[in-house]
Amino acid sequence: MTPRPQPALSARDIHKAFGRHRVLRGADLTVEPGQLVAVVGENGSGKSTLLKAIAGTLPVDRGEVALGGELGYCPQDPVLNSNLTVDQHLQYFAAAHRLSDLKRADELVDLLGFDKYRSTAAGDLSGGTRQKLNLTLALLHDPDVLLLDEPYQGFDWETYLRFWTLVEDLHRRDKAIVVITHLVFEQERFDLLADLVDGRLTPRSSQEKEVSHVPA
Amino acid sequence: MSLPDTAAGRPLYGQFPTALRFSVREQSRNRLAALLLGLFVPAWYLLMTSIAGDKGLDFKLYATGETLRVDGRHVTLITAGMNSLTMISGFVVFDAVRKALNFDRRLAFAGFRETTLIGAKLLAITIVTTSIALYTALALLIYWRPGFTGWGTVLLGFMAMTLTYGALGLLLGVLVKNDLEGFFLIIMGGLTDTFLQNPLGNPAANKPALQYFPSFGPMQFSVGGSLADTVMWRYLGIGCAWAAGFALVGLVVFHFRTRSRRPTR
Ligand SMILES: Nc1ncnc2c1ncn2[C@@H]1O[C@H](COP(=O)(O)OP(=O)(O)O)[C@@H](O)[C@H]1O
Ligand SMILES: [Mg+2]
Repeated sequence: MTPRPQPALSARDIHKAFGRHRVLRGADLTVEPGQLVAVVGENGSGKSTLLKAIAGTLPVDRGEVALGGELGYCPQDPVLNSNLTVDQHLQYFAAAHRLSDLKRADELVDLLGFDKYRSTAAGDLSGGTRQKLNLTLALLHDPDVLLLDEPYQGFDWETYLRFWTLVEDLHRRDKAIVVITHLVFEQERFDLLADLVDGRLTPRSSQEKEVSHVPA
Repeated sequence: MSLPDTAAGRPLYGQFPTALRFSVREQSRNRLAALLLGLFVPAWYLLMTSIAGDKGLDFKLYATGETLRVDGRHVTLITAGMNSLTMISGFVVFDAVRKALNFDRRLAFAGFRETTLIGAKLLAITIVTTSIALYTALALLIYWRPGFTGWGTVLLGFMAMTLTYGALGLLLGVLVKNDLEGFFLIIMGGLTDTFLQNPLGNPAANKPALQYFPSFGPMQFSVGGSLADTVMWRYLGIGCAWAAGFALVGLVVFHFRTRSRRPTR
Protein backbone atom coordinates (compact mmCIF):
# COMPACT_ATOMS: atom_id res chain seq x y z
CA MET A 1 0.00 0.00 0.00
CA THR A 2 1.54 3.29 -1.05
CA PRO A 3 0.68 6.05 1.40
CA ARG A 4 -0.62 9.16 -0.33
CA PRO A 5 -0.25 12.70 0.88
CA GLN A 6 -3.80 13.62 -0.10
CA PRO A 7 -7.13 11.78 0.08
CA ALA A 8 -8.49 10.16 -3.07
CA LEU A 9 -11.55 12.35 -2.88
CA SER A 10 -12.29 15.44 -0.90
CA ALA A 11 -15.51 17.41 -1.26
CA ARG A 12 -15.87 20.46 0.96
CA ASP A 13 -18.90 22.49 1.88
CA ILE A 14 -20.97 21.61 -1.18
CA HIS A 15 -24.08 23.75 -1.61
CA LYS A 16 -26.68 23.25 -4.30
CA ALA A 17 -30.19 24.60 -4.62
CA PHE A 18 -32.78 24.09 -7.35
CA GLY A 19 -34.67 27.35 -7.24
CA ARG A 20 -35.74 27.73 -3.62
CA HIS A 21 -35.22 24.08 -2.84
CA ARG A 22 -31.87 23.85 -1.03
CA VAL A 23 -30.83 20.27 -1.61
CA LEU A 24 -27.20 20.32 -0.44
CA ARG A 25 -26.32 22.61 2.43
CA GLY A 26 -22.65 22.21 3.16
CA ALA A 27 -22.04 18.54 2.48
CA ASP A 28 -18.51 17.27 3.20
CA LEU A 29 -17.06 13.96 2.09
CA THR A 30 -13.52 12.66 2.33
CA VAL A 31 -12.53 9.25 1.03
CA GLU A 32 -9.08 7.69 1.33
CA PRO A 33 -7.61 5.20 -1.13
CA GLY A 34 -8.82 1.73 -0.23
CA GLN A 35 -11.90 3.01 1.53
CA LEU A 36 -15.40 1.80 0.67
CA VAL A 37 -18.05 4.32 1.65
CA ALA A 38 -21.84 4.08 1.49
CA VAL A 39 -23.96 7.18 1.11
CA VAL A 40 -27.46 6.54 2.39
CA GLY A 41 -30.51 8.75 2.65
CA GLU A 42 -34.19 8.98 1.84
CA ASN A 43 -35.49 9.35 -1.68
CA GLY A 44 -34.95 12.89 -2.80
CA SER A 45 -32.45 13.69 -0.06
CA GLY A 46 -29.87 14.73 -2.66
CA LYS A 47 -27.61 11.68 -3.00
CA SER A 48 -27.54 11.79 -6.78
CA THR A 49 -27.13 15.54 -6.73
CA LEU A 50 -24.06 15.14 -4.51
CA LEU A 51 -22.45 12.62 -6.85
CA LYS A 52 -23.20 14.75 -9.92
CA ALA A 53 -21.59 17.71 -8.20
CA ILE A 54 -18.47 15.69 -7.40
CA ALA A 55 -18.33 14.21 -10.89
CA GLY A 56 -18.70 17.69 -12.36
CA THR A 57 -21.84 17.10 -14.43
CA LEU A 58 -23.79 19.62 -12.34
CA PRO A 59 -22.57 23.10 -11.36
CA VAL A 60 -22.70 23.80 -7.63
CA ASP A 61 -23.51 27.05 -5.87
CA ARG A 62 -20.59 26.80 -3.48
CA GLY A 63 -17.94 24.30 -2.45
CA GLU A 64 -14.79 22.60 -3.59
CA VAL A 65 -13.88 19.18 -4.92
CA ALA A 66 -10.40 17.67 -5.19
CA LEU A 67 -9.63 14.28 -6.70
CA GLY A 68 -6.44 12.29 -6.13
CA GLY A 69 -6.71 10.16 -9.26
CA GLU A 70 -8.73 9.11 -12.27
CA LEU A 71 -12.46 9.22 -11.73
CA GLY A 72 -15.07 6.65 -12.74
CA TYR A 73 -18.66 7.83 -12.38
CA CYS A 74 -21.67 5.59 -12.86
CA PRO A 75 -24.78 7.80 -13.06
CA GLN A 76 -28.11 6.60 -11.66
CA ASP A 77 -29.87 6.85 -15.03
CA PRO A 78 -27.76 5.03 -17.63
CA VAL A 79 -26.17 7.47 -20.07
CA LEU A 80 -25.92 5.47 -23.30
CA ASN A 81 -26.40 5.98 -27.01
CA SER A 82 -29.42 3.97 -28.09
CA ASN A 83 -28.20 3.73 -31.69
CA LEU A 84 -24.90 2.07 -30.78
CA THR A 85 -24.33 -1.54 -29.81
CA VAL A 86 -22.65 -2.70 -26.60
CA ASP A 87 -19.38 -3.34 -28.45
CA GLN A 88 -19.50 0.06 -30.08
CA HIS A 89 -19.94 1.67 -26.66
CA LEU A 90 -16.86 -0.17 -25.43
CA GLN A 91 -14.85 0.94 -28.46
CA TYR A 92 -16.01 4.53 -28.09
CA PHE A 93 -14.93 4.67 -24.46
CA ALA A 94 -11.70 2.81 -25.16
CA ALA A 95 -10.96 5.63 -27.63
CA ALA A 96 -11.93 8.24 -25.01
CA HIS A 97 -9.54 6.76 -22.44
CA ARG A 98 -6.90 5.95 -25.08
CA LEU A 99 -6.79 2.32 -23.94
CA SER A 100 -4.40 0.03 -25.74
CA ASP A 101 -6.64 -3.02 -25.42
CA LEU A 102 -10.14 -4.10 -24.41
CA LYS A 103 -9.01 -6.67 -21.82
CA ARG A 104 -10.70 -4.96 -18.90
CA ALA A 105 -13.86 -4.43 -20.94
CA ASP A 106 -14.02 -8.14 -21.80
CA GLU A 107 -13.49 -9.06 -18.14
CA LEU A 108 -16.30 -6.79 -17.00
CA VAL A 109 -18.70 -7.99 -19.68
CA ASP A 110 -17.99 -11.60 -18.73
CA LEU A 111 -18.26 -10.95 -15.02
CA LEU A 112 -21.56 -9.11 -15.28
CA GLY A 113 -22.78 -11.72 -17.77
CA PHE A 114 -23.98 -9.75 -20.77
CA ASP A 115 -21.66 -11.19 -23.36
CA LYS A 116 -24.52 -12.33 -25.58
CA TYR A 117 -25.76 -8.76 -26.05
CA ARG A 118 -22.50 -7.42 -27.45
CA SER A 119 -24.00 -6.70 -30.86
CA THR A 120 -27.35 -5.47 -29.59
CA ALA A 121 -28.11 -1.74 -29.83
CA ALA A 122 -28.38 -0.12 -26.40
CA GLY A 123 -31.90 1.03 -27.27
CA ASP A 124 -33.00 -2.61 -27.46
CA LEU A 125 -31.47 -3.75 -24.16
CA SER A 126 -33.49 -4.51 -21.03
CA GLY A 127 -33.18 -2.17 -18.05
CA GLY A 128 -30.86 -4.48 -16.14
CA THR A 129 -28.54 -4.95 -19.12
CA ARG A 130 -28.47 -1.22 -19.79
CA GLN A 131 -27.34 -0.79 -16.20
CA LYS A 132 -24.61 -3.41 -16.65
CA LEU A 133 -23.28 -1.47 -19.62
CA ASN A 134 -23.61 1.80 -17.72
CA LEU A 135 -21.48 0.35 -14.91
CA THR A 136 -18.97 -1.20 -17.32
CA LEU A 137 -18.36 2.18 -18.97
CA ALA A 138 -17.55 3.69 -15.57
CA LEU A 139 -15.00 0.98 -14.77
CA LEU A 140 -13.43 0.49 -18.20
CA HIS A 141 -10.26 2.47 -17.48
CA ASP A 142 -9.74 0.98 -14.01
CA PRO A 143 -10.13 4.35 -12.22
CA ASP A 144 -8.77 5.14 -8.75
CA VAL A 145 -11.89 6.90 -7.47
CA LEU A 146 -15.33 5.42 -8.05
CA LEU A 147 -18.71 7.08 -7.67
CA LEU A 148 -21.50 4.53 -8.10
CA ASP A 149 -25.08 5.79 -7.94
CA GLU A 150 -27.36 2.84 -7.09
CA PRO A 151 -25.23 0.67 -9.36
CA TYR A 152 -27.19 -2.58 -9.07
CA GLN A 153 -30.66 -1.36 -9.98
CA GLY A 154 -32.42 -3.99 -12.04
CA PHE A 155 -29.77 -6.66 -11.40
CA ASP A 156 -30.93 -10.18 -10.71
CA TRP A 157 -29.64 -11.89 -7.57
CA GLU A 158 -26.82 -13.67 -9.40
CA THR A 159 -25.55 -10.43 -10.97
CA TYR A 160 -25.97 -8.63 -7.68
CA LEU A 161 -23.61 -11.10 -6.00
CA ARG A 162 -21.14 -10.80 -8.87
CA PHE A 163 -21.30 -7.05 -8.49
CA TRP A 164 -20.11 -7.39 -4.92
CA THR A 165 -17.32 -9.73 -5.99
CA LEU A 166 -16.26 -6.98 -8.35
CA VAL A 167 -16.42 -4.28 -5.68
CA GLU A 168 -14.45 -6.47 -3.24
CA ASP A 169 -11.73 -6.86 -5.84
CA LEU A 170 -11.59 -3.08 -6.40
CA HIS A 171 -11.55 -2.55 -2.66
CA ARG A 172 -8.62 -4.95 -2.29
CA ARG A 173 -6.79 -3.08 -5.03
CA ASP A 174 -6.94 0.13 -3.01
CA LYS A 175 -9.55 2.01 -4.98
CA ALA A 176 -11.60 4.69 -3.26
CA ILE A 177 -15.24 3.75 -3.71
CA VAL A 178 -18.45 5.62 -2.95
CA VAL A 179 -21.68 3.68 -3.38
CA ILE A 180 -25.15 5.15 -3.07
CA THR A 181 -27.40 2.53 -1.60
CA HIS A 182 -30.47 2.17 0.52
CA LEU A 183 -30.25 -1.46 1.41
CA VAL A 184 -29.72 -1.63 5.13
CA PHE A 185 -28.58 -5.25 5.27
CA GLU A 186 -25.45 -4.38 3.31
CA GLN A 187 -24.07 -2.24 6.12
CA GLU A 188 -21.29 -4.59 7.12
CA ARG A 189 -19.74 -4.50 3.66
CA PHE A 190 -18.69 -0.85 4.06
CA ASP A 191 -15.86 0.83 5.92
CA LEU A 192 -18.03 3.86 6.48
CA LEU A 193 -21.67 4.79 6.19
CA ALA A 194 -22.59 8.41 5.64
CA ASP A 195 -26.17 9.60 6.13
CA LEU A 196 -27.35 12.41 3.94
CA VAL A 197 -29.83 14.36 6.05
CA ASP A 198 -30.88 17.97 5.58
CA GLY A 199 -28.26 18.48 2.90
CA ARG A 200 -25.33 17.37 5.04
CA LEU A 201 -23.44 14.12 5.46
CA THR A 202 -23.09 12.57 8.88
CA PRO A 203 -20.74 9.60 9.29
CA ARG A 204 -22.12 6.52 11.02
CA SER A 205 -18.94 4.60 11.79
CA SER A 206 -19.37 0.88 11.51
CA GLN A 207 -18.89 -1.08 14.70
CA GLU A 208 -15.68 -2.98 15.16
CA LYS A 209 -13.98 -2.02 11.88
CA GLU A 210 -10.91 0.17 12.05
CA VAL A 211 -12.32 3.65 12.32
CA SER A 212 -11.79 5.26 8.97
CA HIS A 213 -11.19 8.83 8.12
CA VAL A 214 -14.05 10.94 9.37
CA PRO A 215 -15.19 13.80 7.20
CA ALA A 216 -14.14 17.08 8.73
CA MET B 1 -6.05 15.39 -16.95
CA SER B 2 -3.33 12.78 -16.45
CA LEU B 3 -3.50 9.53 -18.31
CA PRO B 4 -4.06 6.31 -16.39
CA ASP B 5 -1.34 3.65 -16.34
CA THR B 6 -3.47 1.43 -18.53
CA ALA B 7 -3.10 3.97 -21.32
CA ALA B 8 0.50 2.93 -21.87
CA GLY B 9 1.02 1.73 -25.40
CA ARG B 10 -0.74 2.62 -28.58
CA PRO B 11 -4.44 3.38 -28.29
CA LEU B 12 -6.49 0.61 -29.90
CA TYR B 13 -9.03 3.03 -31.36
CA GLY B 14 -8.15 6.46 -32.70
CA GLN B 15 -10.50 9.16 -31.43
CA PHE B 16 -11.27 10.82 -34.73
CA PRO B 17 -12.07 7.75 -36.84
CA THR B 18 -14.09 6.24 -33.99
CA ALA B 19 -16.14 9.37 -33.44
CA LEU B 20 -16.69 9.81 -37.19
CA ARG B 21 -17.82 6.21 -37.70
CA PHE B 22 -20.29 6.28 -34.82
CA SER B 23 -21.58 9.78 -35.56
CA VAL B 24 -22.43 8.78 -39.11
CA ARG B 25 -24.09 5.68 -37.75
CA GLU B 26 -26.22 7.48 -35.18
CA GLN B 27 -27.38 9.99 -37.79
CA SER B 28 -28.15 7.46 -40.48
CA ARG B 29 -30.15 5.08 -38.31
CA ASN B 30 -33.22 7.28 -38.47
CA ARG B 31 -35.95 5.07 -39.98
CA LEU B 32 -38.53 7.80 -40.26
CA ALA B 33 -36.12 9.97 -42.22
CA ALA B 34 -35.35 7.08 -44.57
CA LEU B 35 -39.06 6.57 -45.13
CA LEU B 36 -39.54 10.27 -45.80
CA LEU B 37 -36.72 10.21 -48.34
CA GLY B 38 -38.09 7.16 -50.13
CA LEU B 39 -41.74 8.11 -50.25
CA PHE B 40 -42.25 11.72 -49.32
CA VAL B 41 -39.67 13.31 -51.60
CA PRO B 42 -40.97 11.90 -54.94
CA ALA B 43 -44.59 12.38 -53.85
CA TRP B 44 -43.92 15.95 -52.77
CA TYR B 45 -42.34 16.78 -56.14
CA LEU B 46 -45.37 15.32 -57.91
CA LEU B 47 -47.86 17.13 -55.72
CA MET B 48 -46.13 20.47 -55.96
CA THR B 49 -45.74 20.36 -59.75
CA SER B 50 -49.38 19.48 -60.19
CA ILE B 51 -50.33 22.44 -58.03
CA ALA B 52 -48.00 24.72 -60.00
CA GLY B 53 -49.50 23.73 -63.37
CA ASP B 54 -48.10 25.30 -66.54
CA LYS B 55 -48.25 28.89 -65.40
CA GLY B 56 -45.35 31.21 -66.17
CA LEU B 57 -43.91 33.05 -63.19
CA ASP B 58 -41.72 36.12 -62.70
CA PHE B 59 -38.61 35.41 -60.66
CA LYS B 60 -36.22 38.17 -59.73
CA LEU B 61 -32.50 37.39 -60.02
CA TYR B 62 -30.68 39.72 -57.68
CA ALA B 63 -27.23 39.21 -59.16
CA THR B 64 -28.22 40.64 -62.51
CA GLY B 65 -31.23 42.65 -61.41
CA GLU B 66 -33.29 41.10 -64.19
CA THR B 67 -36.68 39.51 -63.72
CA LEU B 68 -36.92 36.10 -65.38
CA ARG B 69 -40.04 34.75 -67.01
CA VAL B 70 -39.82 31.09 -66.00
CA ASP B 71 -41.90 27.92 -66.08
CA GLY B 72 -43.67 27.80 -62.70
CA ARG B 73 -43.22 24.03 -62.52
CA HIS B 74 -39.44 24.32 -62.56
CA VAL B 75 -39.17 26.95 -59.85
CA THR B 76 -41.65 24.96 -57.82
CA LEU B 77 -39.63 21.75 -58.19
CA ILE B 78 -36.57 23.54 -56.84
CA THR B 79 -38.63 24.94 -53.96
CA ALA B 80 -40.13 21.52 -53.26
CA GLY B 81 -36.70 19.91 -53.18
CA MET B 82 -35.29 22.54 -50.85
CA ASN B 83 -38.34 22.30 -48.71
CA SER B 84 -37.96 18.51 -48.25
CA LEU B 85 -34.29 19.00 -47.47
CA THR B 86 -34.91 21.54 -44.75
CA MET B 87 -37.24 19.15 -42.99
CA ILE B 88 -35.34 15.91 -43.45
CA SER B 89 -31.81 17.19 -42.81
CA GLY B 90 -32.94 19.38 -39.94
CA PHE B 91 -34.85 16.51 -38.39
CA VAL B 92 -32.08 13.92 -38.82
CA VAL B 93 -29.39 16.07 -37.26
CA PHE B 94 -31.61 17.53 -34.54
CA ASP B 95 -32.79 14.11 -33.45
CA ALA B 96 -29.32 12.55 -33.43
CA VAL B 97 -27.60 15.46 -31.70
CA ARG B 98 -30.27 15.86 -29.05
CA LYS B 99 -30.39 12.17 -28.21
CA ALA B 100 -26.62 11.89 -28.02
CA LEU B 101 -25.95 15.07 -26.05
CA ASN B 102 -25.69 13.47 -22.60
CA PHE B 103 -23.73 10.62 -24.06
CA ASP B 104 -21.31 12.98 -25.77
CA ARG B 105 -20.86 14.77 -22.50
CA ARG B 106 -20.03 11.49 -20.83
CA LEU B 107 -17.46 10.84 -23.57
CA ALA B 108 -15.92 14.28 -23.09
CA PHE B 109 -15.70 13.64 -19.34
CA ALA B 110 -14.04 10.32 -20.05
CA GLY B 111 -11.25 12.12 -21.87
CA PHE B 112 -12.51 12.40 -25.44
CA ARG B 113 -10.96 15.53 -26.92
CA GLU B 114 -13.80 17.92 -27.50
CA THR B 115 -12.37 19.42 -30.67
CA THR B 116 -12.00 15.91 -32.09
CA LEU B 117 -15.55 15.01 -31.16
CA ILE B 118 -16.87 18.24 -32.65
CA GLY B 119 -14.82 17.90 -35.83
CA ALA B 120 -16.02 14.34 -36.34
CA LYS B 121 -19.61 15.33 -35.68
CA LEU B 122 -19.42 18.14 -38.23
CA LEU B 123 -17.90 15.88 -40.85
CA ALA B 124 -20.57 13.27 -40.16
CA ILE B 125 -23.30 15.90 -40.54
CA THR B 126 -21.74 16.96 -43.83
CA ILE B 127 -21.58 13.40 -45.12
CA VAL B 128 -25.11 12.49 -44.11
CA THR B 129 -26.79 15.72 -45.23
CA THR B 130 -24.99 15.94 -48.56
CA SER B 131 -26.06 12.35 -49.27
CA ILE B 132 -29.62 13.49 -48.59
CA ALA B 133 -29.12 16.43 -50.97
CA LEU B 134 -27.66 14.18 -53.66
CA TYR B 135 -30.61 11.83 -53.41
CA THR B 136 -33.10 14.69 -53.54
CA ALA B 137 -31.39 16.18 -56.60
CA LEU B 138 -31.39 12.78 -58.33
CA ALA B 139 -35.09 12.31 -57.59
CA LEU B 140 -35.72 15.66 -59.26
CA LEU B 141 -34.57 14.15 -62.56
CA ILE B 142 -37.75 12.05 -62.66
CA TYR B 143 -39.70 15.24 -63.32
CA TRP B 144 -37.26 17.57 -65.01
CA ARG B 145 -33.96 17.31 -66.90
CA PRO B 146 -32.39 20.77 -66.60
CA GLY B 147 -29.12 19.86 -68.38
CA PHE B 148 -25.77 19.20 -66.75
CA THR B 149 -24.86 22.71 -65.54
CA GLY B 150 -28.45 23.33 -64.56
CA TRP B 151 -28.63 20.15 -62.53
CA GLY B 152 -25.20 20.81 -61.05
CA THR B 153 -26.27 24.20 -59.72
CA VAL B 154 -29.47 22.70 -58.35
CA LEU B 155 -27.39 20.07 -56.57
CA LEU B 156 -24.99 22.65 -55.13
CA GLY B 157 -27.90 24.84 -54.04
CA PHE B 158 -29.45 21.78 -52.39
CA MET B 159 -26.17 21.05 -50.63
CA ALA B 160 -25.91 24.57 -49.23
CA MET B 161 -29.51 24.25 -48.08
CA THR B 162 -29.08 20.84 -46.51
CA LEU B 163 -25.95 22.02 -44.66
CA THR B 164 -27.79 25.09 -43.42
CA TYR B 165 -30.64 23.09 -41.98
CA GLY B 166 -28.31 20.35 -40.76
CA ALA B 167 -26.44 23.06 -38.86
CA LEU B 168 -29.73 24.50 -37.60
CA GLY B 169 -30.62 20.99 -36.43
CA LEU B 170 -27.33 20.90 -34.54
CA LEU B 171 -28.03 24.27 -32.94
CA LEU B 172 -31.55 23.34 -31.90
CA GLY B 173 -30.35 19.91 -30.79
CA VAL B 174 -28.02 21.41 -28.19
CA LEU B 175 -30.38 24.24 -27.26
CA VAL B 176 -33.96 23.00 -27.18
CA LYS B 177 -35.26 20.93 -24.26
CA ASN B 178 -37.99 18.84 -25.89
CA ASP B 179 -38.57 17.12 -29.21
CA LEU B 180 -41.74 18.89 -30.25
CA GLU B 181 -40.30 22.37 -29.92
CA GLY B 182 -37.38 21.41 -32.13
CA PHE B 183 -39.47 19.65 -34.79
CA PHE B 184 -41.94 22.50 -34.88
CA LEU B 185 -39.23 25.12 -35.30
CA ILE B 186 -37.52 23.16 -38.06
CA ILE B 187 -40.70 22.40 -40.00
CA MET B 188 -42.25 25.85 -39.70
CA GLY B 189 -38.92 27.55 -40.30
CA GLY B 190 -38.18 25.45 -43.35
CA LEU B 191 -41.63 25.84 -44.86
CA THR B 192 -41.75 29.58 -44.36
CA ASP B 193 -38.22 30.08 -45.57
CA THR B 194 -38.54 28.08 -48.79
CA PHE B 195 -42.07 29.02 -49.79
CA LEU B 196 -41.47 32.72 -49.37
CA GLN B 197 -38.86 32.48 -52.12
CA ASN B 198 -41.36 31.06 -54.60
CA PRO B 199 -43.51 33.57 -56.53
CA LEU B 200 -46.16 30.86 -56.98
CA GLY B 201 -47.19 30.62 -53.36
CA ASN B 202 -46.25 34.10 -52.38
CA PRO B 203 -46.97 37.39 -54.13
CA ALA B 204 -44.30 38.96 -51.90
CA ALA B 205 -41.56 36.82 -53.45
CA ASN B 206 -38.97 38.94 -55.23
CA LYS B 207 -39.18 41.51 -52.42
CA PRO B 208 -35.82 42.62 -50.96
CA ALA B 209 -36.72 41.44 -47.43
CA LEU B 210 -36.32 37.86 -48.64
CA GLN B 211 -32.59 38.37 -48.83
CA TYR B 212 -32.46 37.89 -45.08
CA PHE B 213 -33.74 34.32 -45.17
CA PRO B 214 -31.39 31.30 -45.26
CA SER B 215 -32.77 29.84 -48.49
CA PHE B 216 -32.35 33.09 -50.42
CA GLY B 217 -28.77 32.43 -51.58
CA PRO B 218 -29.21 28.77 -52.59
CA MET B 219 -32.51 29.52 -54.33
CA GLN B 220 -31.01 32.37 -56.35
CA PHE B 221 -28.01 30.22 -57.21
CA SER B 222 -30.04 27.21 -58.31
CA VAL B 223 -32.60 29.20 -60.31
CA GLY B 224 -29.91 31.33 -61.94
CA GLY B 225 -27.93 28.26 -62.96
CA SER B 226 -30.78 26.08 -64.14
CA LEU B 227 -33.15 28.64 -65.67
CA ALA B 228 -30.95 31.58 -66.73
CA ASP B 229 -27.55 30.01 -67.44
CA THR B 230 -25.89 32.33 -64.93
CA VAL B 231 -23.76 30.71 -62.28
CA MET B 232 -23.62 33.13 -59.34
CA TRP B 233 -21.10 31.70 -56.88
CA ARG B 234 -21.54 34.59 -54.47
CA TYR B 235 -25.10 33.43 -53.80
CA LEU B 236 -23.95 29.92 -53.06
CA GLY B 237 -21.52 31.56 -50.65
CA ILE B 238 -24.37 33.34 -48.87
CA GLY B 239 -26.03 29.97 -48.31
CA CYS B 240 -22.80 28.47 -46.95
CA ALA B 241 -22.38 31.47 -44.64
CA TRP B 242 -25.75 30.69 -43.05
CA ALA B 243 -24.67 27.08 -42.56
CA ALA B 244 -21.38 28.18 -41.01
CA GLY B 245 -23.16 30.67 -38.76
CA PHE B 246 -25.63 28.12 -37.39
CA ALA B 247 -22.87 25.55 -36.96
CA LEU B 248 -20.63 27.98 -35.10
CA VAL B 249 -23.30 29.03 -32.62
CA GLY B 250 -24.31 25.38 -32.21
CA LEU B 251 -20.75 24.33 -31.45
CA VAL B 252 -20.27 27.08 -28.89
CA VAL B 253 -23.42 25.93 -27.09
CA PHE B 254 -22.26 22.31 -27.44
CA HIS B 255 -18.98 23.23 -25.78
CA PHE B 256 -20.75 24.84 -22.83
CA ARG B 257 -23.15 21.96 -22.44
CA THR B 258 -20.41 19.33 -22.38
CA ARG B 259 -17.72 20.95 -20.24
CA SER B 260 -16.92 19.88 -16.69
CA ARG B 261 -18.49 21.88 -13.88
CA ARG B 262 -16.41 20.44 -11.07
CA PRO B 263 -15.51 23.19 -8.60
CA THR B 264 -11.78 22.85 -8.08
CA ARG B 265 -9.34 25.17 -6.44
N1 LIG C 1 -32.50 19.24 -12.27
C1 LIG C 1 -33.29 19.42 -11.20
N2 LIG C 1 -34.16 20.44 -11.15
C2 LIG C 1 -34.94 20.63 -10.06
N3 LIG C 1 -34.94 19.84 -9.00
C3 LIG C 1 -34.10 18.79 -8.98
C4 LIG C 1 -33.24 18.51 -10.08
N4 LIG C 1 -32.52 17.40 -9.81
C5 LIG C 1 -32.92 17.02 -8.57
N5 LIG C 1 -33.86 17.82 -8.08
C6 LIG C 1 -34.51 17.71 -6.75
O1 LIG C 1 -33.49 17.61 -5.79
C7 LIG C 1 -33.85 16.66 -4.79
C8 LIG C 1 -32.75 15.63 -4.68
O2 LIG C 1 -32.72 14.83 -5.85
P1 LIG C 1 -31.72 13.60 -5.98
O3 LIG C 1 -30.34 14.07 -5.72
O4 LIG C 1 -31.97 12.96 -7.29
O5 LIG C 1 -32.22 12.66 -4.79
P2 LIG C 1 -31.79 11.18 -4.42
O6 LIG C 1 -31.25 11.27 -3.03
O7 LIG C 1 -33.04 10.36 -4.44
O8 LIG C 1 -30.78 10.71 -5.40
C9 LIG C 1 -35.19 16.10 -5.19
O9 LIG C 1 -36.17 16.76 -4.46
C10 LIG C 1 -35.31 16.44 -6.65
O10 LIG C 1 -36.64 16.64 -6.99
MG1 LIG D 1 -30.79 9.27 -6.81
